[in-house]
Formats: sequence, structure tokens, C-alpha cells
Amino acid sequence: MYKGPSIQIENITKRYRSAQEDSLSQVSLQINQADVFGLLGPNGAGKTTLISILCGIISPSQGYVHYYINGKEITEKQRRSQIGFVPQEYAFYQELTAKQNLDYFGAMYNISRQDLSLRTHELLTELGLGKVADKEVSTFSGGMKRRVNLAIGLIHKPAILFLDEPTVGVDVQSRNAIIKYLEKINSTGTTIVYTSHHMSEAEEFCNRIALIDHGRVVTEGELSDLLTENNATSLQSLFIKLTGEAYRD
Amino acid sequence: MFKIFSSIRKEFLLLVSDKVGLALMFVMPLLLVFIITIIQDSAYKIVNENEIPMLVVNHDQGNGGEKLVNLLTSSRLFKIDTLNNLPESALKKELLARGKMIALFIPPNFTSGLESNTGQISHMMMADMGLETDSASNRTEKLPVLSFYHDPVLQENYSASVLGVVDSYLGTIEKTMMIERIYADMDIASKSVKLSEKMASNRVKINQIVATNSDSVAVPNSTQHNVPAWTIFAMFFMVVSLGSNIVKERVNGSFLRLKTMPTSFMLVMLSKMAVYVVVAILQVTLTFSVGVWILPKIGLPELTMPTNFPAFAVVVLISSMAAVSYALLIGSWAKTQEQANGFGAISIIIFGAVGGILVPSFVMPEYMQSASKFSPLHWCLEGFYILFLKGGSWHELRSVVLFLGVFILICQICTYIKLRIEKII
Repeated sequence: MYKGPSIQIENITKRYRSAQEDSLSQVSLQINQADVFGLLGPNGAGKTTLISILCGIISPSQGYVHYYINGKEITEKQRRSQIGFVPQEYAFYQELTAKQNLDYFGAMYNISRQDLSLRTHELLTELGLGKVADKEVSTFSGGMKRRVNLAIGLIHKPAILFLDEPTVGVDVQSRNAIIKYLEKINSTGTTIVYTSHHMSEAEEFCNRIALIDHGRVVTEGELSDLLTENNATSLQSLFIKLTGEAYRD
Repeated sequence: MFKIFSSIRKEFLLLVSDKVGLALMFVMPLLLVFIITIIQDSAYKIVNENEIPMLVVNHDQGNGGEKLVNLLTSSRLFKIDTLNNLPESALKKELLARGKMIALFIPPNFTSGLESNTGQISHMMMADMGLETDSASNRTEKLPVLSFYHDPVLQENYSASVLGVVDSYLGTIEKTMMIERIYADMDIASKSVKLSEKMASNRVKINQIVATNSDSVAVPNSTQHNVPAWTIFAMFFMVVSLGSNIVKERVNGSFLRLKTMPTSFMLVMLSKMAVYVVVAILQVTLTFSVGVWILPKIGLPELTMPTNFPAFAVVVLISSMAAVSYALLIGSWAKTQEQANGFGAISIIIFGAVGGILVPSFVMPEYMQSASKFSPLHWCLEGFYILFLKGGSWHELRSVVLFLGVFILICQICTYIKLRIEKII
């Protein structure tokens, strides 16, 4: 499996129009192909802003992002087909069924009608939603909605997947199912960029992390190296050590 | 192609899942057309077809009073209720007690007073022509005065109309008496009948013509106003369904998610517009069909369809686009669904009231008529008026197309600006 760079972030700075300070300041990172890369940090650190830039939702004030597939840089147009985005919100149509949602978003990725039908069935079954595929999503539990949200991001088999707190507010079983499925697709070479406030989940799931605070990268690297370097016993203790104990409301 | 089909299908599925929105868009205009047309039509009939109840107290000692009562009765404008024994002093009380709106008191000297007046005029004419008359028969009496009583709630123009009718019949009686008296003074009384008949038939007639650009004889009635008016109202009420859908998609991140996909946001917006323009066309089809086929079956005036079909299609299409664009505007600027629904619905009611949907703008005061020009609903209705009542020439529709075109453009630009601000486009 190719292990070279998948995303190259070069000196990204972002300041919103009405803001006094930068939301992100001179952020540079390299995320390798097939990494599970954890973007961690307290509230307001700049994680969502960075993910929004990486997905092309907003533009950086300064800096560049390069994307690669198997070592070859891809264009912005190609990037749209190669990335998957799973936002924090339930960004789909609760009035529609799970299948109708996947059919719609799949069509937006230019998947053919036949392939889409197979892929929708496969994904919903894998994520334990096969039996409720034709039920309105508004009747689903929080965990089921999270899985629908994830399925939409995966419908086109993306090479790079961005997940913004994909397991927030879900039950243990749903979280387990989501993480297991993500590990499965990662093992086939999908790069995953993930944000979360669950330190134990991130510790278990990510092979590399970047800690961001006040818009800057505080530290980044292999988790085991970071724990050793900072003399920390767990990711949570490392997090508190580097970002402090003060509330971030 | 599959992408376009999927996008339109999604909009359609969202639409059919919104039962309240569908009811507002399809059931509400039908109910309003039925209810308001029935109410307005009955009011119209009261004024135009029903006889006006009138209490008459005739104290005349001659036959002139009776003649006047007969003329009023034969006019079929009034339902006469006579109460000749009633003293004039009790008339006011009786009028209010009987629930009549108007009463006419004919004094005892009505005939004698008129005869005295005609006698004096005839005597003067004879003298001027050098003919002698019997001066002994010329008793001098004051002209009689009729008293017209009316309920204070009766509008001034309404009582003026009734007075005009009474005055016209008084004139007829006076003329006849005058001719009879002059002929009698000339000792040719038997010949006066012929002249009276000639004078009666010689009156200038008034033709009532509806001013339109075509041969259409459609006249403004409750159906011709209410069917297009409430259809337009319902078209704009799509703001509740479409507006809140847009707010939801903005707030829950669906729009932002689409931005990460290899698709154009224009496709999303065009799909929405296409589906809701079809909805508006269906609204027109439904309510207009009711106007043509159902309303006449329940005794209401039939909707007369316009003869210029291409112009009709243009008016329907541009009105639909105006309604859709307004919904897009509200949906893109509202922060919450509640805000979109509340502001959207209230603004449509205000636009409707100002624009002449509830009450036709020509009965409004001048400043309100000027204000109505700022309502898009006014221009949509004006378009239908031009089609239905004025024959619908392209020339007259120019101002409608121009205003609604500008309105659509402004709404679309404002929508674009807001979506740009939110980084959705």
C-alpha cells in the first residue's frame, strides 16, 4: 500500500471577515495516505475551520493545500470526486428515507443508477440500516442518523474521508459499528482525517494526531512518540498538559 | 441527466412529505375561492338584484301620491310597504322598529300643491301666448315637500341613488300634469295622452358597454376577481413550504455538504424552481377548473377564460417565477424555519391586502392605490385582470412583465448575495 503524502498543508492562515484574530495561523501538516489522522483540540481551537478548508467549503486567507492519490497530485475538480465529508450536523433530509438520501447524494457524485443501487444496499447493510432503508430518517435514533450521515460521506468510495466528530451523542453500539467500519475502509487504503472530543476513542483509532490550540499546531506526530516526548500516560493527559485546564466555552 | 432527475426527484419527495405546505398551497385557495366568492356574490346580489325595502306613508288627498307609489312599485327597485294611517311624527320610530332602511312621507297637499304649480306655469304660458285662461281656477298653493327618512348606517351615495330614482319619478308625474293642464287650458285635453306617450318614448337611451380590447363580454364579478386573486395568494404562500425547506438545508449543513461534491449549486436551485413552478401551474389549473366547472353548478358566476392563450401562459409563468423567487429570498435570509414561516406568511397577507387580493384596489383610497403598486401580488393580479377583463393585449401586459421581471431579478440577486455570504455558493 502506498504510504506517501495524501494531503500537504502549507502555511494555512484563516481570518474571518469580522474577526480580530486568526482562526488558523501558519498551519502546516502532512497527512499520509492510509493514515487515520486525528485533528484534536479544545472548543474554538480551529479544527472545524481547518476541515472546512480541506474540504473546499471555505478558502484560506493564505497558504495552500495539495492533494495526492498514490503520489500523484490531483486537481480541485478531481478532489471533489475523491473526498468524502461527514459533518458534525445531520446534513441530509430527515423527511426522506435512508435509501432516498443515499440515492440523491450518490447521484450528485455522478454514480450511475445501477452502481448506486448496489452501493446503497451494500452500505446500508454494512452499517446495520438494511432493514430500515425505506423508513423516513426522522423516525431514526441518534445513532442511526449518525450512520446515515456516515453512509452519505462514503457512498462514492472516497480516497480521503473527513469526519467532523462522527460519533458525538451516539450509543456505544453505534459508536462501535462506526469505528469498526472506518477501520475496515482504512485498511483498504482510505485516508481518514478525524476530529473528536473523545480522547480514548481517538487514542484507539488514530495512528497520527495533531493537537491544535488557538489556531496553531501545538504538536503533531505518531501518538506513541508524542506520549513519550511529553512524558504523558494517555492522550487525555497529553491534551490537558498542552492545552491547559481552563474552560474553553 | 440522472443527476438532474435525482435532484428534481428529491425536491418532489420533500414537497409531498410536507402535508401542511401542500394543504396551504392547494386546499387553502379552493376554500378561499368558495367562501369569498359566495360571500361577495351574495352581497352583490343584495345590492344589484334584491328590492330595497321602503316604508311609504301616503297622506296625499289627491291621486298624485298614489301615482308616485305605483311608479316606485313598478320600478321593481323597491319593496314597498305602505302605512298610510301613520302620522309623520311617528315615522322615524316606525322606520327603526320595522328594520327598514328608508321611508318616504307624501304630504296631504302633494297633488294639490303640484296642480297649483302646474296651473301657475300654464297660466303664465297662456298669457305669454296672448291666450286667456280661467284665472278663478288658479288657486295658489306652496309646492309640496316630500320627506325622505333613512337609517343613519345607510351610506350617503346609496341614499343619493334612491333619492335620484324618486326624483326621476316625481319629474315624470310633474311633466304629465303639466301637459294635461296646458292642454286643458287650451280646451284640447283629450289630445294630451298622445303627447305624454311620445315624450315618454322619446327619451335618450344609454347603452352600457364594457371597455375591453377584445369582443369579450366578461364583466367584473366575484368569480372573475376571486379565482385569480386567491390563486396568486396561494402561489405566494409556497413561501411556507419552499422557504422553510431552504432554511432547513442551510441550517443542517446539506447545502455545505453539496459544496464538497462534484456538482453545481445551480442544479439544486434550478430543481427547486422547476418543481415549484410546476406546483404553481397546478394551482392555477386546479382553481381555474373549479371556477369554470364547479362554481356555476352552485349558482355562482362562471369564470370566463381569456382568449389570448400565449399571453395567459406568460402571466401564469411570470407570476409563478415571482412567487418562487420570493420564497427563495425568504428562505435564504431567514435564520430559522419559524422566522421563514412567520415572516413569509404575514408578508404575503400584507402584500395581498395592499395589492388588491382581499379587496380590489380600485375601491381603495388613492394613496393605497399608489402603495399597491409596490406589491408583487398586485402586478400578478393586474396581469390576470388584463387577460380576463380587458382582452389581454401584449401592449398592456408590458408593464406587468416589466415590474415582475424586476421583482424576480431583485429576489434572485438578494438570494445569491446571502448564499455567497454563507459560503454556500
